[in-house]
Amino acid sequence: MSETLNQPTSTPVQLSARHLTRHFTTRIPGRFMKAKHVVRAVDDVSLDLVAGHVTAVVGESGSGKSVLARMLARIVKPTSGELDLEGTPIAVGARRTLDYASKVQLVLQDPFASNNPVHHVRHSLERALLLHGATKGTVDELARAALTRVSLEPPDRFLDSYPHELSGGQLQRVSIARALCVRPSVLLADEPISMLDVSVRLGVLNLLKGLCDNEQLALLYITHDIASARYLADETIVMYAGQIVERSISTALVDEPTHPYTQLLIASVPNPADPTSQAREKAEHTTFAVADVGCRFAPRCPYAMDVCRTSDPPDFTVGEGHTSRCWLHASEPEAVSEVAPPERRREGETTKT
Amino acid sequence: MSAERLEAPPLVDERSRSDSLVSPLPARSDFVLDVSNFSVVYGTGEHMVRAVNDISFTLRRSAVLGVAGESGSGKSTLVYAMTRLLRAPGLISGGVVNLNTTRSGDAGEETVNLVTASEKELRKIRWSHVSIVLQSALSALNPVLRVGRDFDEVLKTHRPDMTRAQRRERAAELVSSVGLNEDRLDRFPHELSGGQRQRIMIALALALDPELVIMDEPTTALDVVTQREIMNELQDLRARFDFAMIFITHDLSLLVEIADEIVVMYAGSIVERARANELYEAPRHPYTLGLLNSFPPMHGQRRELTGIPGSPPDLADLPTGCKFHSRCPYAMTRCRDEEPPLTSLGDSERSVACWLHVGGPGVSVPVELSRDATTKDRAHANGERP
Ligand SMILES: Nc1ncnc2c1ncn2[C@@H]1O[C@H](COP(=O)(O)OP(=O)(O)O)[C@@H](O)[C@H]1O
Ligand SMILES: Nc1ncnc2c1ncn2[C@@H]1O[C@H](COP(=O)(O)OP(=O)(O)O)[C@@H](O)[C@H]1O
Ligand SMILES: [Mg+2]
Ligand SMILES: [Mg+2]
Repeated sequence: MSETLNQPTSTPVQLSARHLTRHFTTRIPGRFMKAKHVVRAVDDVSLDLVAGHVTAVVGESGSGKSVLARMLARIVKPTSGELDLEGTPIAVGARRTLDYASKVQLVLQDPFASNNPVHHVRHSLERALLLHGATKGTVDELARAALTRVSLEPPDRFLDSYPHELSGGQLQRVSIARALCVRPSVLLADEPISMLDVSVRLGVLNLLKGLCDNEQLALLYITHDIASARYLADETIVMYAGQIVERSISTALVDEPTHPYTQLLIASVPNPADPTSQAREKAEHTTFAVADVGCRFAPRCPYAMDVCRTSDPPDFTVGEGHTSRCWLHASEPEAVSEVAPPERRREGETTKT
Repeated sequence: MSAERLEAPPLVDERSRSDSLVSPLPARSDFVLDVSNFSVVYGTGEHMVRAVNDISFTLRRSAVLGVAGESGSGKSTLVYAMTRLLRAPGLISGGVVNLNTTRSGDAGEETVNLVTASEKELRKIRWSHVSIVLQSALSALNPVLRVGRDFDEVLKTHRPDMTRAQRRERAAELVSSVGLNEDRLDRFPHELSGGQRQRIMIALALALDPELVIMDEPTTALDVVTQREIMNELQDLRARFDFAMIFITHDLSLLVEIADEIVVMYAGSIVERARANELYEAPRHPYTLGLLNSFPPMHGQRRELTGIPGSPPDLADLPTGCKFHSRCPYAMTRCRDEEPPLTSLGDSERSVACWLHVGGPGVSVPVELSRDATTKDRAHANGERP
């Protein structure tokens, strides 16, 4: 369905995922009975990470972003789907190889949790380097170079610091330096700025952008902040309940969102410049407001039609490299009764659970 | 909730002592809160950290004061200390926090200085007059009790006249006013989502119809859609229950939407104070300008933004002079040596602590920080910064 986007052929695809799916079977906490329940954390997601390009994945918490990143890093095994690294198919069921780990690196949200508090920066950088085959004689120089790359200068000031002596922004740079020191071709950054102070977030985003531009890194940028996706990413993918619901060139996606969920996300962003544009979705919702049949967003969608409650929409092409998984964009007119006017859910139509 | 009984602070001035007696005062009802020269420190001697520095502000009845600042700027310390929930090694080192209450039923209006109030007075005031919603509802709710019990406890303590059935009815009414189903009362905190727990905390804070509700980053841990829902609900609740609010967040654009007035804190001090729309349209302090430019815009051409260079200061190792000078693109020699006082600017209800504005006629104000700055000026300034 959603094969490669219109990437120029000259830019090599570093990591390609096809139909990645991950389901979890959980027991619903209940006092009377324990029912089994399948969480479709990620469902049929295909994407290409391209050298020198930033791809953003945006969605609310629980939409499957972290599970997707972990499948791409091969820390979580997919239920089904295929991965292809630099043109070589990967046996997804097999154990992750060291070679794969050094080519595809993951940076996590909380720099304090991902940096061991008892080890100084030098230790954690050198450990990563040695693990990935650097020799004892070169690690010191490589560690310095890694810190310089993320603008922690002079490196000597930081090499012997402990995590608690650094600020959140500095520590996140250390995490990025550690991921980069093994020379990966793909960097997966899972909400890398959400725990950082407002004033240093742009610095980290600019650093990531510079690495893409100057070192041809393929970057996956995961965030719930669609404004930062627009700022940083070439392409933005919106996920809802494990599925890709819309994808496009970032500016086109934010400027002309076509999926009602994307529209809701954008309308929810605080925007003092235009306070009239704010969403008024009043209903309480939970992840349980995910439909089992039909479109998963239908229970929350202000435009839901009959077809939405019975059949899962496919991706419709709404522009160049722009797809939207929404029946409103079906080309056969009989599939859509009318395009709903842009007003939000009426009172009383709520989905309390 | 318990609070440390703090020693009478050494620096409290005479005014606060005389105010400490609960004394009925004539119509002071314009302001629900009047804070002056309030300071808080952690620890003593050499390791003392001044977390809140000589802060003064007032809050009008039914108004919303926004407090913005990065982590570590002293926002939580300020409201914990004000409500006397601060624990050792935190210590109020001076100031007055006058609460003017009117909703005490028959007692009429009275003024209480929270800094010197007794435990007994504080117990009467908490929940009934002032309540507080914290960032992490998970740590504020009792994990082994169904959340309905929290409502029951609060109502039982403060409204002994209510029967069990009445308390349950009130609790149900409260949770439905924040958009939850009544059956949520029978859940344990861990069975609720982050947004639901935060709604429960807001409902609980409103249980006794207080005149002041303090919210310490109530939506920071939530995603943007849930945050939007809760903000909308808060607006509706304010229209219905008419409480004043202190709303703390690091997200200045969120504050501009909800607050009437905003104070911007940096390293324990207020650096700028203005009406919300004025602060947004024409920030005067370089730090405020930097914060506003730290959020990528949703519209327009994509350009590189720079945010604020450097990182937030360590309170234990503050620079001399203006605490922002080492990160400030406009810093002058004077900024390194002398700390600018928070000074009222003649043209409006706003104050700023910056030598660019209060340094006398010799200093020219850059256009993007001037009274007539436009959005374009500000964006331009940001793009040009190194
Ligand atoms: N180990 C697991 N077991 C069961 N469910 C899981 C597990 N990990 C994630 N999930 C579920 O998968 C969904 C997606 O989670 P996640 O990828 O962490 O979301 P996001 O990162 O977008 O916030 C959620 O509903 C979550 O509860
Ligand atoms: N228990 C404590 N002991 C010592 N210092 C503290 C303590 N709690 C907070 N601080 C210091 O007080 C400052 C302000 O903290 P806080 O009020 O939590 O800031 P904010 O809420 O703005 O993030 C911080 O720099 C922190 O180092
Ligand atoms: Mg996640
Ligand atoms: Mg705080």
